[in-house]
Amino acid sequence: MTPVLFTHLAKDLRIEWRSKDAINSMLFFALLVVVLFSISFDPRGAFAQQIAGGVLCVATMFASVSALNQAWAREIRHQVLDAQRMAPASGAQLFLAKVLANFIFVTIVQIALAPVFLVMYNLHVAGNAWLLALVLPLGTWALVANGTFFAALAIRSRNRELLLPLILFPIFLPALLGMVQATTAILTGEGDPSLWIKMLVGYDIIFTTVSLLLFEVVFHAE
Amino acid sequence: MDERNILDHQFVAAAYTVTWVIQLVYLAWLGFKWRSEKRNAERKSRPTR
Amino acid sequence: MKKAAIVLFPAVTILLMIWGYYQAIYVAPDDAMQGYIFRIIYYHVPSASVAFAFFAVSLVGSIGYLATRRSNPARAQVADAWALAGAEVGVVFNTVVLTTGPLWGRRAWGIWWTWDARLTTTLVLWLIYVSYLLLRRFAAGPQMQTLAAVLNIFGALDVPIVYMSNRWWRTQHPAPVFGGGPDSGMKDPTMVHALLWNMLAWFCWGVFVLSLRYRVERQHQKYAEIEAQEALTSAN
Repeated sequence: MTPVLFTHLAKDLRIEWRSKDAINSMLFFALLVVVLFSISFDPRGAFAQQIAGGVLCVATMFASVSALNQAWAREIRHQVLDAQRMAPASGAQLFLAKVLANFIFVTIVQIALAPVFLVMYNLHVAGNAWLLALVLPLGTWALVANGTFFAALAIRSRNRELLLPLILFPIFLPALLGMVQATTAILTGEGDPSLWIKMLVGYDIIFTTVSLLLFEVVFHAE
Repeated sequence: MDERNILDHQFVAAAYTVTWVIQLVYLAWLGFKWRSEKRNAERKSRPTR
Repeated sequence: MKKAAIVLFPAVTILLMIWGYYQAIYVAPDDAMQGYIFRIIYYHVPSASVAFAFFAVSLVGSIGYLATRRSNPARAQVADAWALAGAEVGVVFNTVVLTTGPLWGRRAWGIWWTWDARLTTTLVLWLIYVSYLLLRRFAAGPQMQTLAAVLNIFGALDVPIVYMSNRWWRTQHPAPVFGGGPDSGMKDPTMVHALLWNMLAWFCWGVFVLSLRYRVERQHQKYAEIEAQEALTSAN
């Protein structure tokens, strides 16, 4: 990890640790989504096993958007972003640091949410539980990497909170499919998650690379 | 058998109609946009008083 | 000469439309399996082809914009106008596809919709380009064009991934697919001719509308530039 990247990352983590804005709102939002889905779909027995993967992923999506919306808000205020642009460090490192920071926040929320899920849905993992530790981070990375990038795209629009999910979700769809299918396969023990894991890896590599390449364009788009 | 045929005809008519409605509404909207751009251009080309 | 072409092209297009309609409704026979409802294909498939072609035009425009915006700003503006025109007219044709498709599917296969690879990809393509148009509407300032161009590239990358992931999904859980390929069963030459005439007619219509949209956007760009200049000079 280069010193610049580490500086950016440490800064974001430290600010978040002091205010805990993002994590609190994410946790609460995710919990609300889980409860809403439970009331709408009444998960019982085998049915709960089938839909738990989907509910977890959708809860992660909505929770992440609330954090991503203000991912760049701090930089916009007080012209910090302009100062960043003038610094000789590359924009790609700032971007990667933001993605890592948001990734850590969302993962913390997922870990906090896991016991709630196990309890509310009476989950028992029929397949290989360790694979979940691979699938969930892969899916979360896809969401957070694209989300941080698109949050930067939406930053100067007048309804940026609304615009971010509108431009993020269509492009995120295949990763959502992969994440849900893999998680459901692991939870129910039916089907083979390895195809979906490979797809998620491919998706992550492609879009992270393109984001890093194009971030300079977006960063200096003036 | 005949009832099925009538419904088929209605669906084909609906599909063709919907297609043309979408296309012509868009064309009309484009016409309005063209006019408003023309008006903007005329306003700008007029010498300032 | 140019004036004549401007009047002639739409006139020829309308004639092609009428001829295509005649071919589709009166000349082509009923399909052996689907019957009369099959005729929706003569509007549905050409619209899909035009939509995909124009989305490609939009992508090329966006790439062109990003490539030339520093070195040749005038050409970049032209590219961006094509990007917008291609996206918007593509969405119009895509909307036609998404409305005529379910009407066809309901009668031919008994279902309005299914989440197979082709339909899902068409829907996602529509969503991506609508979100592109929304970004253009909501983003403010001169950087809007750059941001929209970047989004266009992301969207284009996503489309093959959506298609493939959906194919895998459906091989694991087989679901109804709308026909093998719409023209896989077309052995009758009059049907093939009817489809080709309508393809030509809709492509001509599409090009006609696309060029209009391009011109309107160019007009808007010039007006916006004059406005920007005035804002700069009046600030003194």
